[in-house]
Amino acid sequence: MSSLLVGVRCVAALGPRYSQVRGVKRWVRPYLLMLERKKRLEGPPKPVPRYQQPSFDYHAEILAFSKRLNEAFSTELLKTAFVNRSYVVKEEGERRELGMDEETATLNLQDNSELAQHGVDFTVSYITNTIQQAFPNLPVVGVKAVVDYLTSQQVLGHIAKNLGIDDLTLSSECPLSLETLQRTFYGIIGALLESSGPDTTGIFLQDFIITELIGKDLFEIWSVRDPMSLLVEQLSQRNVSPPEPRLTRESGASTVLPVYFVGLYCNKQLIAEAPGETIFAAEEEAARVALRKMFGFAENRRPWDYSTSRQGTGNHTALNTAC
Amino acid sequence: MTARGSPSRFLQSVLRNGVGRYVCQLKRLTLTFSKDAQPSRGAREFIEEKIVDFAKANPGVVLYVEPKPCSVPKLVAEYLNGTVREEAVNRKTGEEIAELVQKMASQSGLEIIRIRNPQHTDNPSIQGQWHPFTNKPAHINLQLLDTAGQQTTSQQ
Repeated sequence: MSSLLVGVRCVAALGPRYSQVRGVKRWVRPYLLMLERKKRLEGPPKPVPRYQQPSFDYHAEILAFSKRLNEAFSTELLKTAFVNRSYVVKEEGERRELGMDEETATLNLQDNSELAQHGVDFTVSYITNTIQQAFPNLPVVGVKAVVDYLTSQQVLGHIAKNLGIDDLTLSSECPLSLETLQRTFYGIIGALLESSGPDTTGIFLQDFIITELIGKDLFEIWSVRDPMSLLVEQLSQRNVSPPEPRLTRESGASTVLPVYFVGLYCNKQLIAEAPGETIFAAEEEAARVALRKMFGFAENRRPWDYSTSRQGTGNHTALNTAC
Repeated sequence: MTARGSPSRFLQSVLRNGVGRYVCQLKRLTLTFSKDAQPSRGAREFIEEKIVDFAKANPGVVLYVEPKPCSVPKLVAEYLNGTVREEAVNRKTGEEIAELVQKMASQSGLEIIRIRNPQHTDNPSIQGQWHPFTNKPAHINLQLLDTAGQQTTSQQ
C-alpha cells in the first residue's frame, strides 16, 4: 500500500499539479520545523532603511517634509542636508565593486557636512542668546549647561526621530546612530538658514528645540554639586551679605520620617525655605530654592512666549534700539 | 475586563506638538486595492472622487496608491513617531473611507488605549508633599522669650 502511495505521489509530483493525493503528509511537519530552526539560527532579519522598502518616493517625501513643517526649504539644499558622508562612500564602493571605472563610480553628490557646520554654529549661538535674554540672571556656566542639554545627542536625536527625519536620512548605517541623526538635524537647520534666513530659523528652533525645556527643573539640566557655595558666590557678586541658615521647623526627629525646615536669611530677610529629611539635605535644598528664585528659573515662572506675533532675537534687539 | 486591568496611559503629545506650531503627525498613507475585485469598490470610488481633494488639503501627507490583485483593500498609515497602523477597508463605501482617512490624519500615532485622565501634568501637587506643617499657621512655631522664661522658672 505504502509503495503504491509513493508511486502515486511521484506521479503527483511529476504530473499535472492539480491532482491531489490523499493520505498523511508526513513531510509537512519536518519541513516546517526545519524552517523554524533556520529562522531561529539566523535570528531576526536585518533592519532595512525605509527608503529601500516599497512605496517610497524620495522626492515626494522631501516636498511633504517641508510642507509638513510649514517651512519654505529650497529642495536642493534639503536633499543635500539628508545625505551623509558615509552614504556617499558606501554607494561609491558598491559601484566600484560592480566593475565601474573611477570616473563613472564617483557620485556627483554633496554631503551635509558643510550645512551641518552652519547649523551647529547658528543653533548654538541662537540658543545661547535666547536663553541669556530669557533668563538674564542665569550665570554663564548655567547658560552653557542649558545649551549643552538642548543640543545634546539624546535631545536632538529624539526630536529628529519624532519629526520623521530618520526615514529620509541617507546613511550607510541602519538603524541610525544618534550622532548621525544629530548631524542630519543640524544639516536641516543649516538648509533652512540658507533658504529662509535667520529669523525663520530662529522661530523653528524655538518651536522644536526650546519646547524641550517645558516641565524641566534647572538642576536636572545643570548638575551643581555644592549649591551653597554657588549661592554664596552669587550673593557676593550682588553685594548681599552671605546667607545664614536657620532651622525654622522640625518634627519627628526620633522617628523614621523626620522632617526639618531650613530657612536662609540675608540681612534678617528670609530668602528661601525648604524641607529635608536631614538638616544638611534641607539646607542644600534651601540653597537650590534660593538659586532657582535668583535665576528666574522657578517652577512657577512665566511660560515661554510662543505666540505667532513673536519675532526672532535679531529683530528684538533692532526693535529695542529703535524704540 | 475592568478598567483597572486594561492597558492605559496618560494624556500626552508627540514633541509638545501644538505648543510652538502644529505638525500633522500622519506622514505616509498607502492604499492598496484591486482594480477589479468586488470588495475594493469603495476604495476605487474613494480614489476617483475624494483622494485628490484630500491630497490637496494635506500637502504634508504622502499618498501612495497601489493597484494590486487583492481580496481585501488596505489602508496603511505611518506616523511621525514610527507607528504603523493598518486598516482593512473592504465593505466600506468611498464616503466611509474618506472619513477614516480624515480620522487617521488627525491622530497622533500614539497608542490608542484608555487615557487615565482627560488632563495631565508633570507636577501633580501644587502645595508639594504633605508634611506636618502643611496648612499650619507659621506663628505656632514661634515662642516668645517671656513665656519661655516663665516656663523655665515654673519648672524650677
